[in-house]
Amino acid sequence: MNAMGRLIKAEMKLMVRDPLVLTFVFAFPVVTMLIIGGAFGTTPTPAFEHTNPAHWYVASYLTVTIAAGGLVMLPVHLASYRERGVLRRFTAAGFPHWSFAIAQLIVGLVTVTVACALLLAVAAPVYGIPALHSAWRVVAALVLGAVAFVSIGVLLGTLLPSARSAQAVGLLIFFPSFLLGAGGPPPHVMGHMVKNIAGPLPLTQLTDAVRDPWLGIGQGTGSLIVVAAIAVAATTIAARRAAL
Amino acid sequence: MNQIDAVTVRGLRKAYGDRVVVDGLDLDVHAGEILGLTGANGAGKTTTVECIQGLRHPDSGTLRVLGYDPATQAARIRSLIGSQLQDSALPDRLRAAEAVELFAGRQARDGGELLDRFGLSARRKSVFSSLSGGERQRLFLVLALLNQPRLVILDELTQGLDPAARRNVWDAIRELHADGTTVLMVTHEMVEAEALCDRIVVLRDGRALDSGTPAELVARHANVAMVHFTWPDPPSALLDEMRVLDGVRDVKRSAGRITVEGSRATIAHVGAVLIRYGSVPPDLDVQVPSLDDAMLALLNGVPAKAGTTPVTDERLVGGRR
Repeated sequence: MNAMGRLIKAEMKLMVRDPLVLTFVFAFPVVTMLIIGGAFGTTPTPAFEHTNPAHWYVASYLTVTIAAGGLVMLPVHLASYRERGVLRRFTAAGFPHWSFAIAQLIVGLVTVTVACALLLAVAAPVYGIPALHSAWRVVAALVLGAVAFVSIGVLLGTLLPSARSAQAVGLLIFFPSFLLGAGGPPPHVMGHMVKNIAGPLPLTQLTDAVRDPWLGIGQGTGSLIVVAAIAVAATTIAARRAAL
Repeated sequence: MNQIDAVTVRGLRKAYGDRVVVDGLDLDVHAGEILGLTGANGAGKTTTVECIQGLRHPDSGTLRVLGYDPATQAARIRSLIGSQLQDSALPDRLRAAEAVELFAGRQARDGGELLDRFGLSARRKSVFSSLSGGERQRLFLVLALLNQPRLVILDELTQGLDPAARRNVWDAIRELHADGTTVLMVTHEMVEAEALCDRIVVLRDGRALDSGTPAELVARHANVAMVHFTWPDPPSALLDEMRVLDGVRDVKRSAGRITVEGSRATIAHVGAVLIRYGSVPPDLDVQVPSLDDAMLALLNGVPAKAGTTPVTDERLVGGRR
């Protein structure tokens, strides 16, 4: 196996053993989705764009797993590596220049994919999986969103000086984004100011790009373009920052 | 670069901000030798070996490592080097055997055999965070030797090892040497340097103060041996005879305790005189100059007497750069 393959294999194992990953990326979205999905019943209301509220949250919570992976898991993982000299060891051992950045991207994408599958597997027997109105738009948004947030996570991990600061900053960004842009109240019940703050957030844009075409609320084209732009920019910068 | 040099450094300079850490250093590591790099804390030892590995870019100077320039050809060099870095860990949840698998390239030796060799077989499935300091150091050595490197760079490798583990590591380094592998080691342990190194380069303030074999350094900087014994009422001619012995510099008497100071040859001459006088005092004690003495004399700028310099001198203990 080549250096890249060995690195991906080791990183996959480490990801599965990380309690932060198991807690935040796998357990947290599932538990909160089950709670809030049951809180508003299943009768369509104007607040939820005349859709089933439980389905609204099922469609929204896939982006929570993506954000948890990008904003909580990866920054801590990378900052810890830098803080403890693990990256220097990889560099000194001759791992190729881009191998670590690519390994993180692949491991991050695999992790959020598995977490999304788990969320849908739990949601299916409880609330049902809503029908996809525009499957390609949903899939495109999920893929681009995963790339964007994984790259943001890698970028944060290369900028923050320690694992502790990465955890603090990651959680500080994650929870407001989660409450305002994916897992909290729907935008229609938010006050004007809160809605203005929530609107431009990357996670709000991603959730809109996934949920709107999924539930048939809209096309989500504008949000999809924003997410694509974030993905390109974040990936470019993150890859350079994470090069060995 | 000389053909027999594995590493050639000329005029290396590296500063962090306005603090100059390496200041015009020249250094040669001959192929097949064990070279020790030692010196006071902050002397620039770690920065130098990091520049040699291409982990840091020098501000100026030229470096050739196994025929390549580390500033522009680091990738080529790294496949030929096995290194143990200071302050560099592995992921906490990575198991010892997985670390070997991760770092094993195409030329890798049998990792299981190496783990066994360094007493880590029983810890194969243990995660890195559960290993003791000594076990971690031994695992780093396994990783450094794994890919059959031509040059091995060890930065304070035996720090934290118990005496048995240290001997085990020394044996491994001697085997590498016997196989023709070049070893560049940073060490604060003069016993280790004396036991292993063919040559030693002493750094201070980023410059080479002196270099040579351990014996040469001792001869140059700590060539004062001392013989002590107690003889409450010595024959009157004894002290006079000792004062004129070959190599003797001084003879002192205090409360029956006699100290003879001089070159190494003094030890033999004093012994001969004592035997001739028919009495070898039971508390006869000899202090020969050590490399530790030589280093401290060199770093402090004064000649040292054997065993008279404090071995806990802060400048030689537990350095970091």
